[in-house]
Amino acid sequence: MDPSAGIQEPFDLIRLSLSERVFVKLRGDRELTGILHAYDGHMNLILSDVEEKIMIVDAPEGAPPGHGAVSIVKRKMEMLFVRGDGVILVSPPSRT
Amino acid sequence: MSFFGFEQSDQLEREKQKFLEGKKEQEDLAVYTWGEESYDGLGDALQEGGDELNDETFGGTGAVGKDFDFAQQNHQLDERLEAVPQSDVFHQVNSQAGPSREAGASQARQAHSLWDEKSPFSVLPRHHNGSARSPVEHNRTSSAARSSHLSNGSLSASVSQVRTHSPGVVGVQPIGQAGVRTLQEIEAEMRAAAQQSRNLTTAATQRQQLMQEQQAQQAQQQSHFHQQQRAAPPRMHPQSQSPRFHQQQQQQQLMQQQLMREQLLEQQLREQQLRERELQLREQQLLREQQRRERHLLDIELQEQLRLEEVERQLRAQRLSDVQNQQLLPNRYLHQRQASNPSPIAQHRRQQSPALMDTLQAQYQQNGQHIPHNIQLQQRLLNELAQAEFMQSMATPEEQEALRVEAMRRIMETERMEEKRRRKAAKIAHMSRYNDLMTQSDKDFITRIQVSQLVTQDPYADDFYAQVYGAILRSRMGLQASDERVLKFGSGGGVGLGLGQKGTGRRPNAMQRMEQQVERIVNNARQREQEKGEPRLFSTAPHSLQGALGKTSGRSYKAAPRQLLQVDSAAANGGSPTMGHAHISKEDAIRRHGEGAAKEAAKMGAEALGGVTDPDGIVRQDPLTSKETLAILENLYDLVLNIEQLRREQPSPDSDDFEMVGIWNARYNESVQQLWDGLRVMVPLETSNPHPFISLITPTKGKKLLPRISRHLTSQQMLTMLTLLVACFSQMDIVTHAPILDAPEETPEQAELERQTQTFLGSVVQSILPGVAKAGLRLVSGLLGLLLERSDIIAITQTRMRPGLALLTLFLSRVELIKQSMSSATDLSELPSQEETEQWELMFDHLFQLLHPSLLYLFPSTRIAVHLARLPPDTPVPALHTEAMDQPVWQFLAALALHSSNEQQQALVTALRGKVLENVASANKGWVADEDERLAKLGNVNLFLHALGLDSSQISV
Repeated sequence: MDPSAGIQEPFDLIRLSLSERVFVKLRGDRELTGILHAYDGHMNLILSDVEEKIMIVDAPEGAPPGHGAVSIVKRKMEMLFVRGDGVILVSPPSRT
Repeated sequence: MSFFGFEQSDQLEREKQKFLEGKKEQEDLAVYTWGEESYDGLGDALQEGGDELNDETFGGTGAVGKDFDFAQQNHQLDERLEAVPQSDVFHQVNSQAGPSREAGASQARQAHSLWDEKSPFSVLPRHHNGSARSPVEHNRTSSAARSSHLSNGSLSASVSQVRTHSPGVVGVQPIGQAGVRTLQEIEAEMRAAAQQSRNLTTAATQRQQLMQEQQAQQAQQQSHFHQQQRAAPPRMHPQSQSPRFHQQQQQQQLMQQQLMREQLLEQQLREQQLRERELQLREQQLLREQQRRERHLLDIELQEQLRLEEVERQLRAQRLSDVQNQQLLPNRYLHQRQASNPSPIAQHRRQQSPALMDTLQAQYQQNGQHIPHNIQLQQRLLNELAQAEFMQSMATPEEQEALRVEAMRRIMETERMEEKRRRKAAKIAHMSRYNDLMTQSDKDFITRIQVSQLVTQDPYADDFYAQVYGAILRSRMGLQASDERVLKFGSGGGVGLGLGQKGTGRRPNAMQRMEQQVERIVNNARQREQEKGEPRLFSTAPHSLQGALGKTSGRSYKAAPRQLLQVDSAAANGGSPTMGHAHISKEDAIRRHGEGAAKEAAKMGAEALGGVTDPDGIVRQDPLTSKETLAILENLYDLVLNIEQLRREQPSPDSDDFEMVGIWNARYNESVQQLWDGLRVMVPLETSNPHPFISLITPTKGKKLLPRISRHLTSQQMLTMLTLLVACFSQMDIVTHAPILDAPEETPEQAELERQTQTFLGSVVQSILPGVAKAGLRLVSGLLGLLLERSDIIAITQTRMRPGLALLTLFLSRVELIKQSMSSATDLSELPSQEETEQWELMFDHLFQLLHPSLLYLFPSTRIAVHLARLPPDTPVPALHTEAMDQPVWQFLAALALHSSNEQQQALVTALRGKVLENVASANKGWVADEDERLAKLGNVNLFLHALGLDSSQISV
């Protein structure tokens, strides 16, 4: 059995990550890690045990662009529905 | 075109008639070509009825109200319409009766024609100037002509008569006559009354023979007669418009039926006319003179009295009439239903009725139309008088008062009942407003459309969640696990029925009916298909059910959107597997392919040469990458789903269709074999580290796959899997990464590993447990040997969350069970042989020797303590429930102690002495946080000590 036989389209790669932990990059400087439970053609995702990281750039008034302080806000959610239009990339987390 | 007035009061009546007559004269001046020879008769087809509503329709009356009541006003309107001409005739007869027989006859005809206004023919043209018509035309034309035939000649005459008479007539309303009456007159009056009642009975019998519906209507008329006299002139209300329209439609329907049977009717009609005329003759000759006067007297007297009465009883009468209206509602609906769905009998009656109605009504009106009312009124007056007398005869005022109270109570009660009934009737009427709007075929059509949307190729899968949930519910409720609630059709299609409905009531019945209906439709479709089977053989349509349930135009909602990008998937699937990576660059794929190819070739060569068992022939491979693992797992899941689907489609074992059973078996076995191959259990142990199978059960979903496939595999296969698992135990991530769990600080890795370990215990161990539970001593010692040989037993046992210890405990307890059965078993063949027992002892000794030095480190609490000692002293120590963690270890040690020899037990106690004492001391001296912890510590110690025949209470610190 050829292990790659089931892979015919990009979405099949996401399918491989079902019920695995994935890393999702979102618009608005947000990142998620969580266990992927379901996805669809719009890349709407359902994740559980999610940790969200939001990057916030606090640029002081008048400061030149690119010189703001970056702070990261984290929050955790049990279960999350991610709307597909915000998804930039989905990847398996780097294995240790 | 109506020339009847609505008014009852003389003053108004007079004005009205004047006005109407004036209008008529103007109308007559107009020249119509209808009657001429050249006229093509199209005018007959015009609908000229219903003009009396023109004012309302086109805004002739004042402001139009908003309180339309479409549902309930129909019949009231009808009654009003019917009542009006009747009362009109009443006056005309009164005022006119007599001079000649001709006049009376014409009056009757006029009455008839007036009445006819309400008959189905009223929508047909009225030939007021149709006297110019030739007889030939009369015969030729439709029923319109017939109706005119009835009324035409006489009507024109009567119209003119009315015109000539009426000025005088109106003036002669003989009010003053009531004052002077001679004895003779009174005598005559009484005689006339008797005569009239006799006449009435003859008329009634005729009426009964012919018309039952008619009676109902007349009852209505009577009830409204009172209303009419008392109430304001019955103007048409704005809301009456639409019912009238409705009625017209009905009449049109009827008219069509009429046209078809004109001949027959005409004959009947003529007979009827003859009879009518005879009756008229006789009656009129006998009665005319008397009737004329007495009717006047009676009427006037009665009307006066009635007015007085009515003032008192106005409320009650109002209620009465209301109730009657309500009661007549069902009749009305029955009426409509007959019209929309005519049964043969109803049709027949309907065909007859208009004509008969006409004649009858004319007859009735002329003879005794007003007399029944008078009689009725008289009777009522008599009753009142009798009542009053009775009341007077009751002597005391108390009794009267009591009676009054009682009567009041009854009245109130009756009122309530009536109110209730009226509400109920209103509700029914409201609900049945739209009854029979759709025909049965309409309904069937819609049902077919709906059902066709439900039909799918795989009803179970489309209804999957409902089916699975239903199965779970059924099993939870202990019900018989009946087969799926799916309607299957011949060629794979079907309808999912969802969850079974529980309980009683209307809804389940509706569901059942729906199911039955669907089944019926499907069966019908199938039958039709079979009937069409012959020609279908030659047709090219492959789907036997195509179009069976009707067609949906265009693409259904289920169809995929139109593909803009055409990827040649056939090329990707077939040929080189690397082409499958549509998204992976070609070079990458080729490179990868090239790397693996050499090794694969070597391996295949080795297999061909020496077979798999030859250890030298084994080609070592790189372990599966995580992506490969996941891809394989996806394939395996697909296979599992397929197999599960196959099992649902399993033909019943007693099926006669051996071919089908055979095909099914072949497919099933093939799928299971693919699954088995996919698991890579039979791949030699040395192929890679970790073994491919171990790689497969590394992800959570790999572990969760095992329970799902265990029921498809044979017990032999499961045992093989168990052996492999034991042999490769130390390769598993949960064992290799176990030290992470001993770290006191919590990390994501730790949480992940903990979750993995839980899943392993829940899924893998649970699915292989049955295999161990049935294993013989020989197999268990073999497995233990394998474990000891291939794995670092110390590493295995030092896994928190006890996957390793669990396995060992499992083995030990199994052996214990076998030993117990040895002492009690009677069947010698089941007993393990001496040799096997010795082998087990050997293995156990080996295990003990290996474990003995590190017994203390089995305890997570000890290991954590070591970790903590290594940490900088100021690190905050998280609160850990070490007792709970230690419990499996104590359990294992208890099992170990049971199997141990005396010396081994000694060694155990010596090694664990410190730990036991520590626990007991801390429990006894209160070095514990709470009571629960103390009990846990003591419980743990006792678990172990009991196995040795000791107890913690024996230890004194």
